[in-house]
Amino acid sequence: MRIFVATLRKLVRRPASFVTLGLLIGLLALILIAVSAAASQPGARPQEREGLLLVTFPGAYTIILSFILGLGGLFAVIYGAAVAGSEWTWGTLKSAVARGESRSRYQLLSFAAIAVMIGMGMLIAFAVGIAVAVVGANIAGVSTAGIGDSETLGTLPELLGKGWLAIVEEGALGFAIATLARSQLAGIGAGIAFFFGEQFASLFLPDVVKYLPFNAANAIVTTPGEGGFSGGGGGGPEVASLAPDQALLVVLAWLVGSILVATLFTERAEISG
Amino acid sequence: MQSRGSRCFPVGPNVAPPPAHAAPSRARLDRYSARVTTDGLALATRGLVKRYGTRPALAGLDLSVPSGVVYGFLGPNGAGKTTTMRLLTGLIHPDAGSIEVLGRPFGRGDRHRLFEVGALIESPSFYPYLSGLENLRALAATGAPTPRGRIEELLELVGLRERARDKVQTYSLGMKQRLGIAAALLGDPRLLLLDEPANGLDPAGIVAMRETLRHLASTGKTVFVSSHVLGEIQQLADVIGIIASGRLVREGPIEQLLQGEGEVRVRVAADELEPARTALAALVPDGSVTQSGDDDGWLTVRIDAVRAAEVNRTLAEAGIYASGIEAGSDLESLFLELTRGESVGHEGTFFGVAGGSR
Repeated sequence: MRIFVATLRKLVRRPASFVTLGLLIGLLALILIAVSAAASQPGARPQEREGLLLVTFPGAYTIILSFILGLGGLFAVIYGAAVAGSEWTWGTLKSAVARGESRSRYQLLSFAAIAVMIGMGMLIAFAVGIAVAVVGANIAGVSTAGIGDSETLGTLPELLGKGWLAIVEEGALGFAIATLARSQLAGIGAGIAFFFGEQFASLFLPDVVKYLPFNAANAIVTTPGEGGFSGGGGGGPEVASLAPDQALLVVLAWLVGSILVATLFTERAEISG
Repeated sequence: MQSRGSRCFPVGPNVAPPPAHAAPSRARLDRYSARVTTDGLALATRGLVKRYGTRPALAGLDLSVPSGVVYGFLGPNGAGKTTTMRLLTGLIHPDAGSIEVLGRPFGRGDRHRLFEVGALIESPSFYPYLSGLENLRALAATGAPTPRGRIEELLELVGLRERARDKVQTYSLGMKQRLGIAAALLGDPRLLLLDEPANGLDPAGIVAMRETLRHLASTGKTVFVSSHVLGEIQQLADVIGIIASGRLVREGPIEQLLQGEGEVRVRVAADELEPARTALAALVPDGSVTQSGDDDGWLTVRIDAVRAAEVNRTLAEAGIYASGIEAGSDLESLFLELTRGESVGHEGTFFGVAGGSR
């Protein structure tokens, strides 16, 4: 528990936490405002007017969450990799182990703290996203009456819970990659490569890609067949998504697998430098 | 600058004042003997082997570190010092051999043994975006619980109290080193493992660190120091161990080791060199009297430095009067003799300059 609290304190003070969240919120706000502004132009084409769905409640709730899952997935990989990798790069894991700390416990509790930070970040980004969508709706002259739709609001906790699990899985992937790479920079690089590699793989392995971590994570919230704003790389061929329940299982498998790999590797690793 | 130096390792309110530094003395030798026979060993390795791929880093290392002493661990680059330190702290695991820490076996499942060990391995490791205080708090969350007030006490001890809330990334190398020593002392360890602790410290800091380490040893703690600074070790350590090519080549109380490694240099007239050599040959074994290559009248006698008067008397009895006499024994001579040609990548030379030719 001491490690969990200490790691949370470290992460709250860590510039990477603010930068990652700031970038996500900035991009989210920029896109919402830009799309709604473009869609509200008098001469806007029907395709452009579809952008108004982004700021039309109650559907905006799901779309914004979907967007956070898509873009946030990339940031979660980078964040997880940055935190795990720096433990090796800065030698702080070495110091903990030399004090007799359990390697497994250190890794598991560190990741638990990352998961909490990701959850907080997701909630903040979601809240800001809703606020910006309301602003965008006002700019576009779209009614915000659906914002209080009780049926949608009732499903939000579950959606947010699943969304959190999805982003945590992506963070775990970055955590595992950086642990294997034993380096912050290599971990971030490999994490980004994995993210875009998965999008690229959809060109060749469309039936397999839906089981890969990022696509499965996006499928947790996105309705099958609905592209939403998930998928990160964008522009690729349409990939059949898993059903949300199936996606949940796949995400859990990736999450547990990633943490297991990171923990086992750390347990057996020869720590130097 | 002066004030900073003098603040390094000051005596805090909760820290007993370290005694004035004592030069190597008979008392240290006696303390060593007492520890070995009564308290046992704080640290021991038997047949420790570690390979990186096919390259052996340690080839059967046997260390015996008595309790309550400062142990200087010496060796040329690549001799296996850092590998040993990593093994002793569980960062890596041996391919063969055993380790005993504070009288108990230390293997893969014995991490709790490290609760009584403090370590500074290679360079100090900290989160650069956190302050010194926050870093120590984060580290205190690992391993054995740290007593309340210990962190503040240690920051005072290492002279970082005023900079405790500054980010570590703004610290100088010396300040990071001091914070690293504070981190090693967090758990009030019975055994302290320090890798080059004087790195980056200013002269006042080095003196203060030396006094602090000697004080720790005087309270019964064991301090294991790996260093390249031989003069520093000679002033600090009670016992030394020298490794070369992954094996221990010499170990024992520093006075005892240096006793057999002394030399007396005498200068006589050029035409008296041979008679002097003959006279001195009666005093020491064959080959122990050598002539300086410069043919400048200097003869070197390998003999305990305290027997310089005896050398002088032997010459006088042979009717030869030395115009100069020098006596000395230092760790550097011993080290170079034992490790000649062992430094990795230099094959007996250091940047092209032959080693060991004093």
